[in-house]
Amino acid sequence: MNMAVTPVPGTGPAIAFGSVSLSLGGTDILCDICLELSAGRTHALVGPNGGGKSSLVKALLGQMPHQGQIAMTWPGDAGNVGYVPQALEFERGLPMTVEDVLATMVQTRPGFLGLARRHRELVDTALARVGLSGKRRRRMGALSGGERQRVLLAQALMPQADLLVLDEPLAALDEAGIRLFETLLGQWQAEGRTVVWIEHDLAAVRRLADTVTGLNRKLLFHETPEQALAPERLINLFSHSATEVPLAAGEVA
Amino acid sequence: MSLFDGLRTLIVSWAQAGYLPELLTYGFVVNALMAGLIIGPVLGSLGTLVVVKRFAFFSEAIGHSALTGVAIGILLGEPYTGPYGSLFGYCLLFGLMLNYLRNRTGLSPDTLIGVFLSLSLALGASMLLILASRINIHILENVLFGSVLTVNSQDLTVLAVVALLTLMAMLPFYNRMMLVSFNPQLAAVRGVSVKLMDYLFVVLVTMVTVASVKVIGAILVGALLVIPAACARLVSRSLRGFFWGSVVISVVSALAGILLPIVFNLPVPSGAAIILVAGSLFLLAAVARSLVPAMKGDVV
Repeated sequence: MNMAVTPVPGTGPAIAFGSVSLSLGGTDILCDICLELSAGRTHALVGPNGGGKSSLVKALLGQMPHQGQIAMTWPGDAGNVGYVPQALEFERGLPMTVEDVLATMVQTRPGFLGLARRHRELVDTALARVGLSGKRRRRMGALSGGERQRVLLAQALMPQADLLVLDEPLAALDEAGIRLFETLLGQWQAEGRTVVWIEHDLAAVRRLADTVTGLNRKLLFHETPEQALAPERLINLFSHSATEVPLAAGEVA
Repeated sequence: MSLFDGLRTLIVSWAQAGYLPELLTYGFVVNALMAGLIIGPVLGSLGTLVVVKRFAFFSEAIGHSALTGVAIGILLGEPYTGPYGSLFGYCLLFGLMLNYLRNRTGLSPDTLIGVFLSLSLALGASMLLILASRINIHILENVLFGSVLTVNSQDLTVLAVVALLTLMAMLPFYNRMMLVSFNPQLAAVRGVSVKLMDYLFVVLVTMVTVASVKVIGAILVGALLVIPAACARLVSRSLRGFFWGSVVISVVSALAGILLPIVFNLPVPSGAAIILVAGSLFLLAAVARSLVPAMKGDVV
C-alpha cells in the first residue's frame, strides 16, 4: 500500500521498506511492511502503543534484526542520520551541564576536559536554534522536561542530519517548544531533509506532516493527513482488530 | 632491578640523608605510597563512570570475586603473595559472563549480580576451607582487607601496567561509554559500538579492581571505585568538577589510609583505613551539601 508523494529535492534520502517483518519471542511485531517514503518529506508514523512504530524505526536505524529489506536512496553521498529519542536515562542529580552532555556526543576528547574549541561554534549554533543559549551551563537535571527535549533536538543538529528520526518529540514540549519544533521542521522541509516522525499528537500530524502511515503490527494506510486522519480510519487504527483500509482513489498499490 | 626498586632506593636514601621525612626511610612505606599514587587517580576516574552507569554493585561483586580468584590461584600452585594469573583469569571470566548474561536473560542487573556474587562467594568459601589445612589462613586476611606491608615491586609493576592500559583505553572512549548509558539507541546512531563499549567498561573495571586487591583487599576494593565518585557527585556542578573531584578524593583517601595507621601505629588494615577516610569525606560532603544551599546546584 503506497501513495506517491512528490519528492522534495534536497539532502534527505528516499526510504523503501520491502516486506519487512519482525517477531520477538514468538510474537509478531511487524508483518510484511511494504512502504515507500519519498525523499525530503515529513512522514508521520501513527498507531497504538505496541503497534510496532518504534520497532520499525529501530529496524530503519539498523538496530533490530528483521526480515525483508530496507533501502535508502540518497541524492548524492550518504548523509547524516539524526535520532531524537523520547528521553535520556539521566539521573537528575548528575553533575552534568547541558554543554557537558552535548560535548559527550560531538567530541572524542573526554567531556571532563571541557568542550573542544573546534566544536564550540557547532554547539553554540545548535543551542541557539533550540532557544537554549542561556542555559548551556545549567545542569541537565535542573531543566524542565521541555528544555531537556530541546537539548535532544539540539544534538540532532550537530551535525545537521539529512535523515531525522524523531520519537515523539512533542510529548514533553510546552507551547513555546512546540512552536520552536514547528519552525525547525519547516526549515528541514524547506531544505529537503527527510523526516520520519513517530507521533501521538494527531492534530500536530495533520498540521505538519506530508504523509501519515498507520501501523498496528501491519501497515494499515499510508496517505496524506487529510485522508489518513478521517474519523473512520482512526477508529480502525486504534481498535484491537485493525484491518487494512481499502485503497482510496488516487492511491498507488 | 625494576624501575620501582630504583625509585624506592632513591627515595629511601634521600630520607636517610634528611631531605625527606623519616617515615620514608622504610622501603615498605615508600612502596605503599607509590601504590596509592597509582591506584588513586585510576580508581577515582573510572569511578565516575561506575556511578554514572550505576555499576556500583557490579564493581563490588568483581571485588568479592577476587577472593575466589586468589583461592583458585593458591590451589593451582601460584605464589600466595601474588596469584595474578588466577586472579585476572577468574575475575575477567566472572565479569564477562555476567555482562553476557545481562544482555540475554532479561533479568535486572542487580538480580543477576546477586546470583553471581553468591555463587562466587560460595565457591570461594569452599576453597578457602580446603586451603585452611594447607597454608596459614592469616595470609588470607591480607587478601580480604589489604596490606601495605606485602606490596612489592612486582605488585607495583602490575598496578602501573594496568593503570596505564586503563587510562589509554578509558580516555578516548570516556564519552562513548557515558553516552551508551544515557541512551544506547542514540549512541548507536551516533556511531558508537554499544556492545563493545559495554564489554570494554566491564574489562576495565575488572582489571583495575584486581590490580588494587593487594592494597585495598577483596572485600573493600569495589568501594574505592564508588565512594570518591559518589562524594564528588554530591559537591560538584559540572562533569569537570565531578571527575577531578573524584580523582582528588580517591588519591587523598588512598594516601591518608596508607599513612594514618603507620604514623599513629593503629592496628587497622590499609584497605579498611582507606575506605574509612573515603567514607568520612563522603559523610562530610553529604552534611555540607545539606547545610550549604549553593552546593545543591540547580536541582529543583
